[in-house]
Amino acid sequence: MIEFENVSFSYGDRLVLNNLSFLIQEKERVAILGGSGDGKTTILKLIIGLLRPDSGKIRIDGEDITEKAEGEMRDIRIKFSMVFQEGALFDSLSVKENIAFPLREYTQMTEEEIDQKVRELLRRVGLEEAIGHMPEELSGGMHRRVAIMRSVAAYEPRMFLYDEPTTGLDAVSADVICKLILDLSREGRGFVMVTHKIFDAFRLAERFMFLKSGTIVFDGDKQKVLHSTIPEIQIFLRELNWG
Amino acid sequence: MRKRIKELIADLQNLYLLSLHGVLGIVRRPFYFKDLIEQMDYAGSGSLLIIFLISLFIGMALSLQLSAELSRLGMKMYTGKIVGISIIREIGPVLTALVFAGRVGSGMASELGSMVLGHQVDTLRVFGVDPVKKLVTPRILSALIMVPVLTVIGDAVSLLGAYYIAVFVSHQSGTFFWSSIRDILIYENVLAGSIKPFIFGYLIACISCYMGLSTKGGAIGLRRTTTKAVVISFIAIIVADFVLTRILLYLLGFTV
Repeated sequence: MIEFENVSFSYGDRLVLNNLSFLIQEKERVAILGGSGDGKTTILKLIIGLLRPDSGKIRIDGEDITEKAEGEMRDIRIKFSMVFQEGALFDSLSVKENIAFPLREYTQMTEEEIDQKVRELLRRVGLEEAIGHMPEELSGGMHRRVAIMRSVAAYEPRMFLYDEPTTGLDAVSADVICKLILDLSREGRGFVMVTHKIFDAFRLAERFMFLKSGTIVFDGDKQKVLHSTIPEIQIFLRELNWG
Repeated sequence: MRKRIKELIADLQNLYLLSLHGVLGIVRRPFYFKDLIEQMDYAGSGSLLIIFLISLFIGMALSLQLSAELSRLGMKMYTGKIVGISIIREIGPVLTALVFAGRVGSGMASELGSMVLGHQVDTLRVFGVDPVKKLVTPRILSALIMVPVLTVIGDAVSLLGAYYIAVFVSHQSGTFFWSSIRDILIYENVLAGSIKPFIFGYLIACISCYMGLSTKGGAIGLRRTTTKAVVISFIAIIVADFVLTRILLYLLGFTV
């Protein structure tokens, strides 16, 4: 479903991704690991067309999106559900209005139907009581639960894109988010998550890519990761031993 | 040096495109009326008190200065006329625009900047919403409406302050003061004072939104863009004021 072919990307003079190529199938559960500034989030933004590569091709369902205009990206974007780091809820809108936002954009629901749908989604993540709260009143974990529910409110995405879904959360909140991600993926939808937390990646994903200085230095399953001798992966694996 | 010139040209080009796209959004669907009302409330009602206070004291100070100087020349009765022309043509629009840029422009830049840093602008794009249409157009429109409205209010308050000083401190005739003001409320003066606020409002909104949307680099980046938004808006207002004054004087047939 997602194909990168020799993709390079730079922010100004700084090369972030260097000749990257990979293929991700629709139902795969993929974790992209790497250090800060290694271009993990950039990959997600390229997949969904928020950034354009300097060179190379990105294909979604075989369709080249590299040259697509912003106005033509809507059809591509609704194939995915993107959850940004820390949720990216709209500060000026309440929890209800945040979840209602895509419903108002994509559907013709009445106010009553929107209210019912928002309550149903919030109930699913145990946050119905927070319906009237503003984002600043929510904890980090609640933020992300609301963001995940907002991302599935209006349409059924075929794949999820998670940007550091558990970073900065305590163990209990991270566990809740992991369960929610697994729950959503059980419905037959794959995901690409970028993270630097290998513990959560092992719990959620089945395929692992390690990014270093803009290139993929490893691509394989859990067993391969555990037996890898690549120094960067060894550093990540130490986290498991400490955990 | 060459890189900085290139960046400056790119910035000017992007600012131009944003200004164009933002203002065209006024006549293109969808319309975000709720956002417009919120912006007008923030920009208009929120700025009213500060405009009131600053305009009042500027009007009083100007009247004091002119009364003192003109009384030495035996021409105190011209206070109302000179104060009126200064306020309506020049000080009112510029002062209101500077206050608006400092208060509202900085707010626009910091709000949009924090939305960029918090990926809220990216989220809008993911949901298929044009961020310029949703965020920039209501701000441009609110500035186009509220700067002129605030200017009219500021002018009126300044003239009241000037009247108070002229009549109760400088002991001039109140009737003569107002008749002087009526005399200068001619088409040319009113037009000169009415066009400027629209241009200033447009410049402030476009510059502030552009700065906000181009924020990079966390809290320090946000501080930098907010400061730049205010400083560039101030410079743009002063330069535009000079250019507009020159053009308007020429078009309205004033000889310099």
